[in-house]
Parts: sequence; structure tokens; C-alpha cells
Amino acid sequence: MKARGWLYLIAATLLAAPWVLPGYALEVAIQVLILALFATAFNLVFAETGLLSFGHAAFFGVGAYTSALLMQRASWPYLLTLPAAVGTAAALALLIGFFSVRTSRIYFTMLTLAFAQLVWAVVHKWYAFTGGDNGVTGLQPGQLWSDPHALYYLALLLTVVTFLLAVRLHLAPFGYALRAIRDNQARAEAVGLSPFGYLLAAFTLSGALAGAAGFLQVAWQRSAFPDFLYWTKSAEVIIATILGGAQSILGPSLGSLVFVELGAFVQSHTEYWPLVLGLVLLGLVLFLPRGLAGLGGARAGD
Amino acid sequence: MDIGFLLLQFLTGLAYASSLFLLAVGLSLIFGALGIVNFAHGSFYMLGAYLLYWVVRGNPEGLWWGMLLVVALGLVIGALVERLLMRPVYGRPEHYQILLTYALLLVIEDGVKLLFGPAYKSLGPPAALAYPVWIAGAPFPAYYFVQIALALLVAGLLWFFLQRTRTGALVRAATLDREMLEALGVNVPKLLTAVFALGVALATLGGAATLPMQTVSPGIAVEAVISAFIVVVVGGLGSVWGALLGAFLIGEIQAFGVLILPDFAIAFVYLLMVVVLLVRPWGLLGRPPAVRT
Repeated sequence: MKARGWLYLIAATLLAAPWVLPGYALEVAIQVLILALFATAFNLVFAETGLLSFGHAAFFGVGAYTSALLMQRASWPYLLTLPAAVGTAAALALLIGFFSVRTSRIYFTMLTLAFAQLVWAVVHKWYAFTGGDNGVTGLQPGQLWSDPHALYYLALLLTVVTFLLAVRLHLAPFGYALRAIRDNQARAEAVGLSPFGYLLAAFTLSGALAGAAGFLQVAWQRSAFPDFLYWTKSAEVIIATILGGAQSILGPSLGSLVFVELGAFVQSHTEYWPLVLGLVLLGLVLFLPRGLAGLGGARAGD
Repeated sequence: MDIGFLLLQFLTGLAYASSLFLLAVGLSLIFGALGIVNFAHGSFYMLGAYLLYWVVRGNPEGLWWGMLLVVALGLVIGALVERLLMRPVYGRPEHYQILLTYALLLVIEDGVKLLFGPAYKSLGPPAALAYPVWIAGAPFPAYYFVQIALALLVAGLLWFFLQRTRTGALVRAATLDREMLEALGVNVPKLLTAVFALGVALATLGGAATLPMQTVSPGIAVEAVISAFIVVVVGGLGSVWGALLGAFLIGEIQAFGVLILPDFAIAFVYLLMVVVLLVRPWGLLGRPPAVRT
């Protein structure tokens, strides 16, 4: 089995990476995993429902802040803040989704953007609670999670779980229902599917998983900043997803790998990384409309 | 709180609204006619400020002809961008257009850094306007009146152009039904180039006009584009009057919000955007999307 061989190879590479990569490269690898988790979560909504959320940074950021504030103010151990981070992100996604998923296309994008910016504005200015634009810094996630090896495996575990969940949902009736709604809402309703419930469930799940990515970011950076919630962070996850190819199940992870590694490489040579990224994206949109995954011609999962 | 103070605050809001209008009205025009959400719009605004600084070589007295030159440059840049980059993505899903314009945002931001350096740039108002006007016993920058007048002038000219000229009528028609326009023998691609160029020129003018009162850095682009989105979403995507109303509301909410809850004035603005999107998604003065059969 050729496919199984590849799978073993990828699994072995991912498991062996921390023992092969030098310190800095391992830090970058953790960042790849965090973005891959975030992008896979984002794509649950984008690929399956066709709705482009421009507000996912809010869930990422609220997950991060939940974890950071619980550690700083209530001295919770790092790992215990995971359910809390996922929970608050899910609650926020449920709230925003409740208002947003009824709207369509550009209005959905604008509404998620507006909600996320509203949350950003509050986090950015609420000095008494969130530390305002100073962020929450100097966090101590404990001895174990300060070791990049341990953090790598934690990130790998969460990313793989999210990935398997995304594959499972894609193949489950739930995924079929979402795609039916995406392709023709009126027809989906006619056969008895309730778009609102399905879309809200997908949006909430996606937001909750984005919160897990924020939780990981806190241990990696030992701080949380309002920038985690700013709209450019939402743009970043969209870029990584489309760069890899939103229609492929591996696309978001592949895009995250390229995005982070290319970024680390370019930044070690020049400060003009945004310029390089901008030019890469222009080339991508104009010449490679289906993302990197489109190069192989395969559409996994379809 | 006396009435003079409130008047002063109102005028400050109005000055802010004026630059918001110049920034946002082009975004609205472009969305209306081309259907493209232009994330690079704030970058053209930022570029306009830098271009003005460049053409007048840091001399405030060159402001007037400098602004004219910036508008001309904006038209050329806009036309080139539309021809080379936008045209291939018409009719493609929205996320490609968003990605493309976001890429443009990144390129312009770093391009400006490369060309002009990362330092902040500032340019005072011309000597004739570099004094405060005393209103109710408090100083108010005279240049703000120039900004307000400029916004009103542009609004008037746009009204004349869109309502009273043949080309303007075609632009309005393009926001309604591009295919029909094409079928009637109108050169739609050329028209879209013109609209995009006009929108970009307005943004560069807006940026140039704020330079005498504000220092600029390449980073203002990402803030500006979000402000522009708020204005056009509140006023109505594709509507010029909506942009005027939206800019007025946002400017005044900022000016008075600062008095009530200084830290959260910006949150009020986002809240207004959320509420408008929920209650009237097409904006206060926008047109509900036509139901196509």
C-alpha cells in the first residue's frame, strides 16, 4: 500500500522531529503545528460551509487570554487551562455564530470581522483585566512545558486530534449536510436539513479548536497580546489555508508549514518578509488558483 | 459641559469624519461597481500621504499643487493595478480577491518602507493655515476647516459626476447589472478601470489631506482599511451618500465617545457596525440585494 507507506513516513518524521531539529528549528516547528491546528479549525467552516470567517483571531485570542489569565491570576497549572480556553472560545463562537451564520457571503465575512474587532477593542483597552496593549507577559507554564520537546508533542497531539476530527466530520453525515447546505441552501432545506443548526454547530466547533491553538501559543510565547485578536491574525490563517489549498484536507497544514517555514527562512535574511509574502501571494492568486495542494492534482477526501 | 465645548467636539468629529469620507467613498465605489472588497484601500490612503511628502519634498507650502499631483498619481496607480492585478480575478470566488488585495497591502506597506524608510513622516499645514481659530475660547486648528471643505467639495463633485454625467450613469448602472451593460454595448472593462482608478485616487487624496495634521507611518494602512470598512458597512456598501453618513456617524461617535468612556470609544464604533449588520446588513443607505431568479 503506497498511501500507507507515506502515512508511516509522515508519522515517523513528525515523531522524530524534536530529536533531530536544533533548538531554533524546533521552536519554528511548534509554530507550524500551532498554525496548522488553527488553519484546520478555520477550514472546518470555510471548506465545508463556504462561509469565509474574518473573525477567527477572536477565538484564537480568547483561548490564549483565558489560559494566560488563569495562569497569572489564579495560578492554574498550564494543562488545566486547556478545557477552559476551549470552553470560552466555544462560548464566544456560539454567541458570534448565533448572530452571524444566518447572514450570507460578504455580510458573514464583515459581521465576523466586526465582532472580532469588537472583542479586540475590549481586550486592547481593558487594562484592569487584560493588561491592555501591554498584554499578559512573564508567564511560567511550569518546568515540563518550558521544555520545547514536551510542548512540541503536546502541539502535535492536539493538531493530530483536530486533523482526525476534521477528516471524520468530512466523511460523516454531518459533513455531507454542511456541503449540501453550502452547495444549495434551498434544496438542503427542502430535504429537511436546518441550515442554522448545522452551521452554528460547525462554527462553534471551529471556534473551540481555534481556542486550543491560542492555548498552545501562550506556552510557546509565554505571553498573550491583543495582536492575537487583531484582524491581521485572521488574515494570516486565511492565507495559510488558501496557500495550502482549502479544498484539500491536508491543505491547511501544508499551507501552515510553508507559511511559517518560509517566514522563518526569509526573516533570517531580510526584514522585508511581508513584501516577499505579498509577492508570493500575488503569484499564487494569479497563477496557482487551487493552492499548493492543487499542484498534485489530487483532491483528497472528494 | 457648556455648549461651546460641545461645538468644539462636534467640529473635531466633523474633521475626522471628513478624512474618513475621502478614505471610504472610494472603497464603496469600487465595491459597488467591481464587487471587490479591497483590503489594500487603506494602503492607497497611506501611500497618498507618502506621495504628498515626496512631491513637495517636505515643504508645507506645496500642499495645494502637491495634492493635485497626488490625485493624478493615484489615478495612474489605480488604473495600472486594476489592469494588471484585478482584472484576472473578476468572477473568481471572493476569497481570491481578498487574498489578492491583502497581498497588495503587504507589498505596498513594505514597498513604502523600502522607498521612504521606516521613519514617521510629518508635514505641518501651510503657514497661512498654521494658526488656531478660537472657538468658544478654545483653540481649533484652522486646517480642519480645509479638510471639512474638501470632503464637502468631493461629495458635491461625486454627486454631479454620478447623477448628471453619462459616464456617471454608466457607473451606477454597473453597480446594478454589469452583464446587461455589456450587452448594451458599453465598454465595461474600461469603465471598471476608470472606477477603480477614481477610487484609488480618492483614497490617496484622503491620505494626502490628513498629512498636515497627522504623522504617518506605513502601519496606518491596516487601521485605515478597517475604518473604511466600518464606514461603508454602516452607510451601505456601494453607496456614496452612505459613505458620507457613515463617516459622519463614526467621526462623531469617536469624538463624543471619548468624553463618555475614553478607552472604549473605538469599541462603540465596532458595536455600531455589528448592530447595523444585524438589523440592516446592506447598510443604512444601501440597497437590499436584488433577488435573482
